[in-house]
Amino acid sequence: MSSTQPSVGVFTTDTKLVIQVWDATLAHLTGIAAESACGQALTALLPDLEQRGLLKRFRRSLDDGVVEVLATAFHHYLIPCAPVTPSKHFEKMQQRVTIAPLRDDESIAGLIVTIEDVTERLEHERELSARLAYDDEATRLDAAETLSNDQSYDATPLLGALSDESWRVRRAAVKGFSQRAAPEAISALLNSVVENHHNPSLLNSALQVLASTAVDTLSPLRELLNDAEPDLRMQAALALGEQGDARAVPALVKALRDEDSNVRYHAIEALGKLKAAEAIEPIIEIAESRDFFLSFPALDALAQIGDTSVAPRIAPLLEDELLRDPAVSLLGRLGDETAVAPLTALLNTPTAPTDLIADALTNLHDRFEQQYREGAYIAELTSRQVSPTGVQNLLDALETPGKENLRSIALVLGWLKRSGVDKALTRLLGRVDLRDDIIEALVRYGSTTVNLLVAQLAAEDLEVRRSAVVALGRIGDSSATPALVQMLNEESLAIEAANALGQISDPAAADGLLKLIGSSDASIRQAAVSALNSLATPSIAHRIIPMLHHQDPNVRESAVKVAGYFGYPEAASDLLKLSRDPNEGVRVAVIEHLPYVENEQTLDVLIHALQHGTPKVRAAAARALGNMDAPQVVDHLIKGLADEDAWVRYFSARALGRLRAEAGVKALEAVLENEKFNHVRIAALDSLGQIGGQRIAGIVTGFVNDDDPDVARAAEAAVEKSRKHE
Amino acid sequence: MGFRSQNLVLPEGAGSLIQNLINERTGMWFDNGKRDLLIDKLSPLVIEHGFTSYLDYYYLLKYDTESHLEWENVINALSVQETYFWREIDQVRVLVQTLLPKWDARSANRNVRIWSAACATGEEPLTIAIALNEAGWFERMPIEILASDASSKAIERAREGVYRDRAFRNLPAGLRERYFSKEGSGWRVRSDIHSRIKWGIANLVEEEQVAPFAAADFIFCRNVFIYFSENAIRRAVRSFSKFIRSPGYLFVGAAESLIRVTTDFNLTEIGDAFVYTKRERVI
Repeated sequence: MSSTQPSVGVFTTDTKLVIQVWDATLAHLTGIAAESACGQALTALLPDLEQRGLLKRFRRSLDDGVVEVLATAFHHYLIPCAPVTPSKHFEKMQQRVTIAPLRDDESIAGLIVTIEDVTERLEHERELSARLAYDDEATRLDAAETLSNDQSYDATPLLGALSDESWRVRRAAVKGFSQRAAPEAISALLNSVVENHHNPSLLNSALQVLASTAVDTLSPLRELLNDAEPDLRMQAALALGEQGDARAVPALVKALRDEDSNVRYHAIEALGKLKAAEAIEPIIEIAESRDFFLSFPALDALAQIGDTSVAPRIAPLLEDELLRDPAVSLLGRLGDETAVAPLTALLNTPTAPTDLIADALTNLHDRFEQQYREGAYIAELTSRQVSPTGVQNLLDALETPGKENLRSIALVLGWLKRSGVDKALTRLLGRVDLRDDIIEALVRYGSTTVNLLVAQLAAEDLEVRRSAVVALGRIGDSSATPALVQMLNEESLAIEAANALGQISDPAAADGLLKLIGSSDASIRQAAVSALNSLATPSIAHRIIPMLHHQDPNVRESAVKVAGYFGYPEAASDLLKLSRDPNEGVRVAVIEHLPYVENEQTLDVLIHALQHGTPKVRAAAARALGNMDAPQVVDHLIKGLADEDAWVRYFSARALGRLRAEAGVKALEAVLENEKFNHVRIAALDSLGQIGGQRIAGIVTGFVNDDDPDVARAAEAAVEKSRKHE
Repeated sequence: MGFRSQNLVLPEGAGSLIQNLINERTGMWFDNGKRDLLIDKLSPLVIEHGFTSYLDYYYLLKYDTESHLEWENVINALSVQETYFWREIDQVRVLVQTLLPKWDARSANRNVRIWSAACATGEEPLTIAIALNEAGWFERMPIEILASDASSKAIERAREGVYRDRAFRNLPAGLRERYFSKEGSGWRVRSDIHSRIKWGIANLVEEEQVAPFAAADFIFCRNVFIYFSENAIRRAVRSFSKFIRSPGYLFVGAAESLIRVTTDFNLTEIGDAFVYTKRERVI
């Protein structure tokens, strides 16, 4: 067959089935010329029409006015003829035939029959079907995908693929059925369930299809719940759960009384999946029946339904040896503060399921924290009710070798201020995954745990030492100062140790911190400077001021940061001189801190730096001027918006916002229009938002749809801020 | 905020912007539980630039004309360079004992190119070179080994070829004796093995950086996708697929899988190892 030749031929008949029209395509397809066909009765042209049971289909269309389709799979052809091109599988052309009434006003005047040549497609379908049986997975997958994606193919061959050993092939087959979702496909699948339910692969795939199709399968599945065959009833319950249609609930509730326990099991599961609140009472009764087989799924279902009112009915199940564990979990998920007492009572017994109880208590705690910010209440109730046996159970659980998930145990232990517990917790300091929780717990112990933590500073594991340093800083007890000062010598912990000493604010740390201010690592210097700044002791000034002249520029830079932070009046002239230091880092530090130094030259030095410094110094000057409350500053910052360096422009824009400089609005608006670097535009937007007012909202609104999401976000924030400032 | 970054300002939303930008440019994904770690690791770089806010640093990375220089520092700060010789050796064994003999029989006229795509400080490509040498492959066919990493610092160390004791925790002692000589507190790899490897820098999510390396017969890209987002893995694997020679073999780490991100490679079990083969091009 030529690919351009139409493959649908047409003929018409009168009411007596005498052929009236026989089109050229049909003549081409069948080899029967119009001249010999027209005028002949259809039964003469096709003598076996009645014998093949087809005549009645033509008559039905004539009599009842219905459209009849002769499915190729059953009838193969209407007009026997050879395929247009030779076929490997078919001697006769395979035809899809549609018979429709020809209407003349209100009456039926005859029939129009279309004959589509589907030989080639069927041949391909057969080949694909055969390939579904190949050993090679890739070939089977390719065939399944082709059959699945092209909906002109019949889906039937895919039925077999639903039980293919490869999950990829099964997935493709499922997709094919899901996409078609035609009633006949569903029906074929249901038949497969009936006939092949002993085959789990096929069954599961079929159920997947049932669960994912858009066609209403509720009715046939509900019917199946009444089938005589228990396996089918069970599978129907399973499928109804998967489908997520709440209309199935009454039928499933009824199935809770099915004589077969497997059916009841799956009905319980399905009701859980459907979160069927109306099923709570019968399900809880099943749980309370303490049926070995059904109570577990009943508890699971109650957890899924999530109704907290069931908790008081669950607590008594903690006494049941078999149901105890799921009941513990359920109380964690659904219970309120009243669940703490039964859970801790169980924890206080020698054979308690400690991990589960700890999970349940932390679950409760986290939920209370999230919903009411009252997690501490659960912690306090727990702490009050846990006995020494309960504490020992938790400590023992902590020691179980190879245990991965210790978070719950660690958290619950952290709530209990009992002797020995802090020691156990310090052993977990090296666990990076638990570190924050452990530190939090140890901090709650306060000063009493300082010695334990100091001992951990000698631990071999760096992470243990790191966590101990951080915890000591958080506790803030000065008895840890000497040990932490020692830690300043350890390069990989110097920053954490300096931060911790900054939190403790003990002047005794000054010597150790001063030793770090010349470090070649900028982060360490910064940490030391911040810590020194938090010591707030007058004696520091005498130590720092001479260091402003130190030969090491790193020391000078740090000394400037400390002297500038405190704004020592006696250091003012030295600081001004250092604005001309040969080292750029020192000059930057001076410029950044000059706003805190009271001296009449300060402003001039900053303006000079903004105009004549290196790019970094100019950027620092722009930042600093944002902290100066002098009228002439704004003009200089506006000039800064035209600096050749983008970062000077950026910080000039930010400084204008910090000053809420109305006079800068026009210049900032120009930045939005003309600036080529988006971070400078973002700074302008932020500043316009800070300046605020109705006029600003009008300026920035135009940028909320900017191509750059950062600009758009900044514009949105500016609109909001400017309105707040109105 | 992390342990080391308390002297810096992290404005609301800035952590997430940084997290996403790092992912987009490097492929590395720090989920919310690891965001503090990310912020901590970046803190020295923020301070080094004299910034007090992470947002300023984010803008530097995103908009500054010289940001490519800073990205090198970011990758050096964030990349994990902990690895060792003879790690997940089954896949190397499959290369040496199963795939090369097949390849040898089919393509005698062409050199074999092997690419170690995330070689960290060089232990993986050196492992491959040692295994090939042990099996005598260098005498039998021309073999080219390329090795790259996104971290310039790692490649610098790989080029030095000196390793500390921890790198040898899996290497049979006899091989260490044969291929390494003591130097100070470390061990230097034999120069004839080291010189077989061409070292370079490649960010796996940048196609133009992948291209010069990925025209290989065997790609080893192991223990890097565990740090990548799904989207970044997809981008990297798409580049591999585009340039890999035919038939092409891709080895990923035992804890990694491409099952959710690609359709270009098929997973095959060869011997004791899993190997991805480019679809429709199986030997």
